[in-house]
Amino acid sequence: MDRRSFLKSMAAAGAAASVAGTAVIPKPAHAAGKIDFGQVKSVKVDVLTETSWFDNDIFKKTLMDYGGAMTNQYTIPWEWDNAGGYSALITVTGLDDKERKFLMDTGWNTEWMDYIFNEKSNVASMLKNGEIEFMMLSHWHLDHLWGIESTLKNKPDITIYAPQTHYPEDIALLREKAHHKAKDKSGKEVPICKNDVPHTGKLVECTPSGDKGDGIYRVMPGVAIRMFDVPILLRVRGENVLYFNVKDKGIVTVTGCCHPGVLSLFSYARSNFEGYKPYGCYGGLHITLFENWEPKFDDIIKGVKSFQLQKVGCNHCTGWIWAEKAAEAGVPVVKGTNKYKEYKKSSTVAKASNVFLTNGDSVTF
Amino acid sequence: MAEPSRPGEHFSYILGIINFIAIFFVVWLLWYVFMHPDGVMKLYTPMYGFSLVVAFLSSVVMLTKVWEIYPAPPPEDSSRLTRGIILTVVAVILMLITVFAIFRGFLGTFGIAYFSPDSIVASGGTGAEPFNARENASTALIYFFTAFLWWALAWNIGFGRWPWTRDTAAVVSWSRMLAVMVLTIVTYAVLFHPHVCYLFYPPQNKAGVEPWWSSFAGTGSAYFSLGLILCTVAWIIISDLLWEGYPWKSLGRDGEGSLWKGLITVFGTLILGGITFVILLKVMNVYWMEPFEGGQYTDAPYFRYLHTGEIGGFVVLAAFILAVYFNNFPNLGSLFVRAFLRTLIAIAGGLCIYLFYYSSATTFLLGKVPGIAQPDDTPLVWTLLYLTVIMIQADFFQYWPLPRRTAQTNEVWEAKVRVAGASRL
Repeated sequence: MDRRSFLKSMAAAGAAASVAGTAVIPKPAHAAGKIDFGQVKSVKVDVLTETSWFDNDIFKKTLMDYGGAMTNQYTIPWEWDNAGGYSALITVTGLDDKERKFLMDTGWNTEWMDYIFNEKSNVASMLKNGEIEFMMLSHWHLDHLWGIESTLKNKPDITIYAPQTHYPEDIALLREKAHHKAKDKSGKEVPICKNDVPHTGKLVECTPSGDKGDGIYRVMPGVAIRMFDVPILLRVRGENVLYFNVKDKGIVTVTGCCHPGVLSLFSYARSNFEGYKPYGCYGGLHITLFENWEPKFDDIIKGVKSFQLQKVGCNHCTGWIWAEKAAEAGVPVVKGTNKYKEYKKSSTVAKASNVFLTNGDSVTF
Repeated sequence: MAEPSRPGEHFSYILGIINFIAIFFVVWLLWYVFMHPDGVMKLYTPMYGFSLVVAFLSSVVMLTKVWEIYPAPPPEDSSRLTRGIILTVVAVILMLITVFAIFRGFLGTFGIAYFSPDSIVASGGTGAEPFNARENASTALIYFFTAFLWWALAWNIGFGRWPWTRDTAAVVSWSRMLAVMVLTIVTYAVLFHPHVCYLFYPPQNKAGVEPWWSSFAGTGSAYFSLGLILCTVAWIIISDLLWEGYPWKSLGRDGEGSLWKGLITVFGTLILGGITFVILLKVMNVYWMEPFEGGQYTDAPYFRYLHTGEIGGFVVLAAFILAVYFNNFPNLGSLFVRAFLRTLIAIAGGLCIYLFYYSSATTFLLGKVPGIAQPDDTPLVWTLLYLTVIMIQADFFQYWPLPRRTAQTNEVWEAKVRVAGASRL
């Protein structure tokens, strides 16, 4: 083969690859036009609990011993006493100055969640008297779902918005009084979660199509849920994200774990929302959740700065070291307080820098 | 590696297909035992399992391409089955020695801490616990073995036995190993070590520079380098397998490598890899729009770079399947036409494997969560495991239980000797 022939064949192969690739890989849907889902006057997030587990090392050791992050969460005998949970109370003030409330996620350990709902907040009574309108389940991870009994015992018929991408074990826990168990190393079955109060209310199974085919669910004027169908750790898939359009400020995202990536959420808003202006975010941002580091985490700090967010409220799976580095780099991280120290348990990785909005803190956008 | 086609020789495509299906299930069984999230050993954490697979593939390549089996020859009168079993056991032992004795036990304990999880944990500090430590040490190994695979394969097809063509097998084996290792260490130091030094908090910036590509790549992740190297390796293998060693072969003397052949092969495949890298990134931009710094999943620049390598891996796997189980079809016409058609088939096959990997079938077979770009999942692990099994069958078992392949022409014999070093015995 001479050089000319060789180069010809290369060019042909490259062209064929491009054409073939174009033909078979589906393109993501793009909105035909920008969406206007209204506005709110403000949104307040009360951090009920963001400590999904208290000792990072115990959690990671269990994870390592039973197959790592790709393993099915229902097959791991998690350390019950190390479990806490993730949950937040959202209060929306509409343009008419009326306040409306809903719950995001319901934690993991039911004893911890009962303590949070009854002793550290009045969520239990707000559920009972209907003040809390609905619950949005961000995703089906254990620390966001397995404490469901604590919510349902106060309001079994609560409307729940959840990603459609659930597994039979999830639905059994939600609606069929399941008592799930997992085998430990010795083969002994260990209880890992249970719910004796079946959900009797409406379950809105969210998909990326949205309620009108334009990608979002309009839950209140100025409040939308968007389901991102992404693969996640521990065999989970899909995450619901809250978007708020705050008048005179801009778009605020509120997330459980933010697996799709905080900047990808803003990128989605930029592409799809009318009058997009980035303003802030709250939630677990799923970055250095194991308090480790990678060069790509530096990328996120640079990216958040370039998106010019005005308020970054973070906790949970964001990772303290990311929050500290981000704050040092000039990211407007909203500082928390020491209220978490008044709780009966706290995270072993909590630091005096208070770069997390942690248990008992709140933030208003 | 598989030998090229055998013009004129009868090849049973039925047997080839049966073998292909059988190997698919062998790989699945191995996956279930070692990697599957609901399987036996659950090593796909992901980096730990990934590092072991890359190390195993590197052991196979070391035995066949660098050593040409010299240090561990099976008895000359052994059957193909015996020979295959012996060499497979040798490859497993070599992998275990390399990972656990050389890197963890020696280098990681007495020199470079990040090669040993125990040394990382012992150093203390944020994030220095067993899970992170094992993942980080495994990441370093993956990068090291990637650099090794590049140079081992590039040297084999380019330089061949140069400059030791007149020396004994022992001289060639050990000298080539040292040359490949020197190049591997330099490549690792420049392309990957900066990333590994920044896997810790605070970053080890006295040991490694801040990833120098971050200013133009949009990420500090060494997936940038990994994608480029894997695209390059894909062309090394494609030209070796599907183009029957051309065009590099025309630069050789008496079927042997030379300095110029080696240099042109290295830079030629690097240029082809670079072009492929850029084309694939452009194609991804069409589907997922431009990535941006700090984006995650398909928006992440680091994922795009990695994905070029993953696509390259799919095409290489298809090329191996075509060469080994379909007799490098087609075998008629001029070399140019054959090479061109095989390349098209390999690209189409790679796309089919791509669609398979991201289909719901792998949810059941591999325990994968549906979707693309999960940070803890890369198809490279399954692809490389598959490639390793095919190489073991071709080079160690000499295609057993398929019929032994015999060369029909001098040209093919030369290629066979070059490609399948094992067959020299």
